Amino acid sequence: MVTPLSRNLFDILIMNKQNVITWILLLLLTVIAGLVSSAHISYVIPLILLLAVLKFIGVAFNFMELRKANVFWGVLIIGFLVVFCGLVLLIKT
Amino acid sequence: MEITKIDYKNVLYPPGGILVWIIIFLELITFGAVLIAMVFSVNQEPEIFHKSRLLLNLTYGTINTVFLLTSGFFMAITVHELKLNNKQRAQGYLLLTMFFGLLFLALKSVEYYAKLSAGLDMGYNTFFTFYWMLTLFHVIHVIVGLVILTSVYLGIKKENPRTKMEDVEASAAFWHMCDLIWLLLFPVIYLIF
Repeated sequence: MVTPLSRNLFDILIMNKQNVITWILLLLLTVIAGLVSSAHISYVIPLILLLAVLKFIGVAFNFMELRKANVFWGVLIIGFLVVFCGLVLLIKT
Repeated sequence: MEITKIDYKNVLYPPGGILVWIIIFLELITFGAVLIAMVFSVNQEPEIFHKSRLLLNLTYGTINTVFLLTSGFFMAITVHELKLNNKQRAQGYLLLTMFFGLLFLALKSVEYYAKLSAGLDMGYNTFFTFYWMLTLFHVIHVIVGLVILTSVYLGIKKENPRTKMEDVEASAAFWHMCDLIWLLLFPVIYLIF
């Protein structure tokens, strides 16, 4: 049975496919980060930072539409992430 | 609602406008610098930082990440719907955006209450000084973001709205910035020590 709510949700899925996929991936990465942090495996810190970087890129390039902007802005964001994560890894390890 | 076609490929016109992007980078650099200082402090007191990190509630942190990401998702849909001139739908999604922002604040309040009840205030140790400073500063941004979104909502709700699409995009960029900052705070404060 198609209710107004399910119809609405269906419309969201179809019309905003890219945003929906990004959102689901972001949630999955969040759960994975939580699990990885409590697992006793090597390279936990680089792995957690990598997951955070992927989420950051997902929000910046899809939700904030940086993919449509001049490449300069994308390079600045990636540059910031490289410097930030590089410094964290350098100091922490 | 006034919608003008913008060439986003022009370096001076990123989505939301150049001014909000300058603010975003300044904020990211500020939070990033304090987080780097926090990581640097770990080397002085690794044991204290590890024990203090374990006093944080990872479940709250994870759920709050989900709230903010979901809020950001609805914000992106709001902008998309407004560009298609679906004002009615955009209003609904904007309300959902604000609702998840409020849920974030509610859970953060619960977390803060638990910390204060346990005596883990700003002066407890170096870790909690950074924890309170960074998360409270972020919370202030979320509150400012909610005020901006409320003004956007009231603006687009009018019969003949004077709110421009660029204003909505700038507000959306500011709101997403709160996500970006949290995506840096969450792993460093809650996970890596």
